[in-house]
Amino acid sequence: MPTFLVEIGVEDLPAEEAELIAQSFRENLLSGLKEARLSHGKAHLFWTLRRFALLIEDMAEKQAEVVEEIRGPAVSVGLDSQGNLTAAAQGFLRRYGAGPEKLVRRTVGDKEYLFLRLERPGRSAKDILQEVVPKAVRDIPCSKSMRWDGGMSFLRPIRWIVAILGDEVVPISLAGLSAGRRSLGHRLFGKPLVFSRPEEYATALREAGVMADPEERAEFLRRAIERVETEHNAKAALSEELWTLLLGQTEWPQPVVGQIPSEFLALPEPVVVAALREEGKFVPFTRGGRIAEVFLGFAEGNGDPELIRRGYERVVGIRLRDAMGFFSQDRRRTLASRVPELKGIVYEARLGTVWDRVERIRLICRLLARALGLPPDLLDRAALLCKADLLTIVVREFPELEGVMGGIYARLDGEPAEVAKAIEEHVRPRGKGDELPATPLGIALGLADKLDGVIGPIRVGEIPTGSRDPYGVRRRGTAVVRIVLEKGIRVDLFALIDGVVGQYPGAEPAETVKEFLWERLRSALEERGISYDVVEAVLAQKRGDFLGVWERAQALQALVGRKDLADLALAFGRVRNITQGHEITGFDPALFQEDAEHTLWQAYLVAKDRVEKALRAQRPAEALQALLELKNPIDRYFDEVLVMCEDRKTRENRLGFLTALCRLFLQVADLSRLVVPG
Amino acid sequence: MNTFQDLILALHRFWREQGCAILEPYDVEKGAGTFNPATFFGVLGPRPWRVAYVEPSRRPADGRYGENPIRFGLHHQYQVILKPPPHDIQDLYLHSLEAAGIELRKHDVKFAHDDWESPTLGAWGVGWQVWLDGMEITQFTYFQQMGGLDLDPVSVELTYGLERIALFLQREESAFELRWAEWLTYGELFRERERQFSIYHFEKAAVENVRTMFDFHESEAKECLAQGLVFPAYDHTLHCSHLFNTLDARGALATAERETYIARVRALARACAETYLTEVVRAHIPR
Repeated sequence: MPTFLVEIGVEDLPAEEAELIAQSFRENLLSGLKEARLSHGKAHLFWTLRRFALLIEDMAEKQAEVVEEIRGPAVSVGLDSQGNLTAAAQGFLRRYGAGPEKLVRRTVGDKEYLFLRLERPGRSAKDILQEVVPKAVRDIPCSKSMRWDGGMSFLRPIRWIVAILGDEVVPISLAGLSAGRRSLGHRLFGKPLVFSRPEEYATALREAGVMADPEERAEFLRRAIERVETEHNAKAALSEELWTLLLGQTEWPQPVVGQIPSEFLALPEPVVVAALREEGKFVPFTRGGRIAEVFLGFAEGNGDPELIRRGYERVVGIRLRDAMGFFSQDRRRTLASRVPELKGIVYEARLGTVWDRVERIRLICRLLARALGLPPDLLDRAALLCKADLLTIVVREFPELEGVMGGIYARLDGEPAEVAKAIEEHVRPRGKGDELPATPLGIALGLADKLDGVIGPIRVGEIPTGSRDPYGVRRRGTAVVRIVLEKGIRVDLFALIDGVVGQYPGAEPAETVKEFLWERLRSALEERGISYDVVEAVLAQKRGDFLGVWERAQALQALVGRKDLADLALAFGRVRNITQGHEITGFDPALFQEDAEHTLWQAYLVAKDRVEKALRAQRPAEALQALLELKNPIDRYFDEVLVMCEDRKTRENRLGFLTALCRLFLQVADLSRLVVPG
Repeated sequence: MNTFQDLILALHRFWREQGCAILEPYDVEKGAGTFNPATFFGVLGPRPWRVAYVEPSRRPADGRYGENPIRFGLHHQYQVILKPPPHDIQDLYLHSLEAAGIELRKHDVKFAHDDWESPTLGAWGVGWQVWLDGMEITQFTYFQQMGGLDLDPVSVELTYGLERIALFLQREESAFELRWAEWLTYGELFRERERQFSIYHFEKAAVENVRTMFDFHESEAKECLAQGLVFPAYDHTLHCSHLFNTLDARGALATAERETYIARVRALARACAETYLTEVVRAHIPR
């Protein structure tokens, strides 16, 4: 079966988006083929910033044939006594434009019907591809699309299309272009290409100076980086962002190593790293925590490496000279002296200036210092200074150095080491997968910073919905939960929120903030592999000690699948069901009549003591163990005691006791939410 | 042939061959060649349009007292507008660099994603910064909107940073060392000017006077628009834009106030664009 090649040639796509574009083209096209019932073999994806292409092996030449049977009138209605078609049957045939030879008889239930049997021959692959390919391109989501004269919108203008099935062109038309065999090689070092067969694609492109296979390109980049690491005994300071840009930037990467003039090596390492990495230009290297004197760039194509190196060094020199100037200008003043100027930076119209934000962070820190037993003066100092680096030129030029520069300047100003470290750490985590703050003050300040970023916007009504989250509230909420769970911070977040919410502008109640964080906790538990029914069980009772919830979730998860837990869940389910809707709380053990009542009462007293002690000691597994002991007494109770008895006093006394028992369970988890097999 | 003026002449020759009208800079101060009426009005409406010109561009906040080798309060842009853009526009642009004397096959040329936006003009587009051996030498933009209006057809704007390209061609480290003509350096022409304007913009400009001038030009612009005098209105808009840049460089604007000033200029630019399309294009300019 033939191979199919489709290549879409474009003007340079944003390097950071090229791969996403290619992948969504692949998904769209393959799902289009599936929908069209066009079978095929392996699909290979190629992409650079100037093209994306799919090479699909073993393409079926035709769609799979479909047979459709449409029910018509019953035989008794459709045929007369001589077996001729009645008016009803003729009408049925007319509706589908079919002749009587297409009729068959089928029995449905106990009745026989006339069916129209339509055999739809499969359409040719060539036809189908002409519909599926343009749709696959048009359905690619773009971050920001543009118009040109092609009659469509896309990330950048589409300039050529190759589509060959076997050895035939598939005349696809899209964006005012018709597909053919012509493609372009490397912009400066390649030549125009004409493919006669799809199989030539990768080799021909290689010869035309294009490494279209992303795996091959990635491997090439990796090797070049490793070579520099080995030769210069240094470690590449890569970031995910830099890597994406490097992979997307060139069709034919050529590594060029340059030297950083020694005068700039005195700059703080993060500043040099940021300056080099800017816009994905160069790979910086470090050695023993300091910046190394080499950097690596990847030129597009086979230019003169000597000339390019000189150009790169000039650009690096200009940027680092700028950075040096900014740094020494910043150093003329202390961080502390800048703090009052934060009153001049608007954070958000309703939420006031950055200074207002600092004041709120300090308030949260005061409560945290008390709750966590941290030195309040040092934490307050760190909170006071934490945003002052926003006023420095280096941070204005390299926004990703917020916090990092604050830490550096604070250290140089002679602030206490733990204060400087806390300032440096407080912006973490910047995103998913980023490191968390590590020192106690850094953790507290980071937590306060993120909490403020959640409470503030929500308080003025900016609650994230769907994908809309202009204030990054969801990211910050996730960070709050991560810090608490992963750093083991035992603090009542709800009490904290109640304690500060009055200081925020806006009118959204504290409940909304709690509810929002509670939902973040839910996602965090699910992401950490807690099964959904366990999540439901531990989240049944809202409380501000998120760490405790997490610990109970883990303890409960560890028992999932065990028979005694399942039995206990069923037993507790009975307690929960029968007390549901009753508001009775009081009871008197003296009124218990049955043996089983007394037994459960004694067991309850023992369990209650153990559960409470275990929870106080943060040993939820022991609390669960204590609850497991209640299984038999509960079962016996329901076997022998009629709770909903005639006598109101007895009935209410029993319900009151069971409600207390229910509450004891709920301190640990609502086990009735567990999905029990069977 | 290796002076600053040779570079300009080479680009003029190249773009003249491509059918561009070679225009002169506009005589009102502005931050970029985009503000020249030949671009602002030229890209509006359906009429095909190809122009090229040099634009001395004033950006008060970028001044460095003549002490930075590559940052200035006034730099020179070479501006090309092609409406509608030809399909081989990227190649055409690369040929223009070759025409200016850059041997591209020896260098690293990248089209790096950079979308352009001018909040004061109500204009935006998508495109690239062109990097030559890592240095930004051109802003390449497919305009999508101007004065808040969708463009149809779209235009391509090429904005060459002449100082940067000249640094390449003359292999100098500092723009002030560049030769403008054989006997005249860029430094002789502009260094003292840079120093004085930096002092003025950063330290001396009388903030209240500048605000008053802004108000004055704004009210003149509005008055002109009311009379259908779109070109005088646009000149006053340009003055407003420059005065806003001056206030900004002087550090006189708090964040919120800054937004207000931008919105005021944008409103004028939009009114100019609309008036031009409804009154001038229809009534006076032959199609």
